[in-house]
Amino acid sequence: MDQTYKILVVDDEPDLEPLILQRMRRQIRANEYEFVFAQNGVEALEKLNADSTIDMVLSDINMPKMDGLTLLQQLPGVDPNLRAVIISAYGDMDNIRTAMNRGAFDFVTKPIDFDDLKITISRTLEHLAEWREALSSRDQLVALQNELSIASQLQQSILPKNPPVTDMYEVSANMEPARNVGGDFYDFFNLDEQVGLVVADVSDKGIPASMFMMSSRTALKGAAIGVGDPEKVLEEVNNQLHQDNPTFMFVTLIYAVFNPDSGSLTYSIAGHDPPMLVSADGTVTELPLTKGVALGIAPDIVYTQETVELAPGDTVVLFTDGVTEAMNANNEQFGLTRLADVFDGNSPESALAANEAVFECVRNFAGDAPQSDDITCLTLRRP
Amino acid sequence: MEFSHDRSGDTLVVTASGRVDGSNASDFLESLQGMFDPGDQRIILDLGGLEYISSAGLRVLLMAAQNLDRQSKSFSICSLTEAVGDVFRISGFDQIINVFPSVEAAKQG
Repeated sequence: MDQTYKILVVDDEPDLEPLILQRMRRQIRANEYEFVFAQNGVEALEKLNADSTIDMVLSDINMPKMDGLTLLQQLPGVDPNLRAVIISAYGDMDNIRTAMNRGAFDFVTKPIDFDDLKITISRTLEHLAEWREALSSRDQLVALQNELSIASQLQQSILPKNPPVTDMYEVSANMEPARNVGGDFYDFFNLDEQVGLVVADVSDKGIPASMFMMSSRTALKGAAIGVGDPEKVLEEVNNQLHQDNPTFMFVTLIYAVFNPDSGSLTYSIAGHDPPMLVSADGTVTELPLTKGVALGIAPDIVYTQETVELAPGDTVVLFTDGVTEAMNANNEQFGLTRLADVFDGNSPESALAANEAVFECVRNFAGDAPQSDDITCLTLRRP
Repeated sequence: MEFSHDRSGDTLVVTASGRVDGSNASDFLESLQGMFDPGDQRIILDLGGLEYISSAGLRVLLMAAQNLDRQSKSFSICSLTEAVGDVFRISGFDQIINVFPSVEAAKQG
């Protein structure tokens, strides 16, 4: 990073300030980050109003005078381009959800894991940098090509890194962007003892589509945290996205929740290809499609969900149509059959191996033919 | 992408063939809207010759459908090939836009 980012930390616990200064001393000394502190929402607003160079807010929820959730509501009035990360008690899903709905970019839970906090801060700031570039290029009405390259960086900046690999479950995810079009993204996040998984495809390209992608991601994560059942989550996200969608953008996606203890995977689909199940013995099946429509185009759609029990050694493959519609030089599509053939009789040894196998087969098939759409694949394996 | 159209009374049947993806979706929208007359009350889009439609193409259909709906005009599509029919079924667009097996069925629908 070639600029110093100023981060406002808002918490009424006096211990946090010395702890942050100590744990972040390397970043502070390298002039990457500068921290300012406030004890509550009122003081935070005073500091923000007095200092327009603050880039990001890291705020606790429960504080005297003005709490973190109220502060979040006030932030757009101070500077609509501020990004906020919320610190919340572990398991306090209601508050986290409210925070995401009020525009928080992300959250970390207490007790604070500083490695996690560092990753979250750097991802938020990376996103902020792309966002600012997008805004300035929009102001300058730059060439489409440049807009698309910024949009693709915005897209990259919302993808989480370091997918979880434990004895209970393994996740691997990859997105290979197309040069010009595409709006794929994936996400994974912890939900108490479970893990939420998302693979999505936004209908358009460019900066407006990136912004729609951002809203989709935040709305989904917020709903996932509070609502529980995938079918209800999609119902809520659909209504949220539809409310403010004058340009008829939409997103197709699969949202799945895996319970590592029981091995059950519950998923709901919004206008997207269903996942593929590769059993431990190498049998490949397409999981059933659930009822639903791409998100954002019509209100009050009813979604349904399905549950599948994963046995040890089973792998589930979530993908976008960039995989199945990848073309070779003869204008043939990769298709579902070739995707199934990747694993037929050949169960993968890890989620990562499964993911790499998909990309390798698509690449070999496509050869030198230009890639016309983003290619995304997320694999979940129960070891 | 190729188009033709056939008007009888207040019904306009537009036939589209070829491929619609991100590279020609905006041309698709312009061509489509250019064919509408104020007097058309019922628009039927015959996609029998359409080989492929991407999500960008679906969005154009959605815009056209909502636009016509606002003017209280009827819009339907028909004669989908299996591949295009799958796209409509999986995306759920068959629940949003009226789909008929043939032009005749669409005229009666």
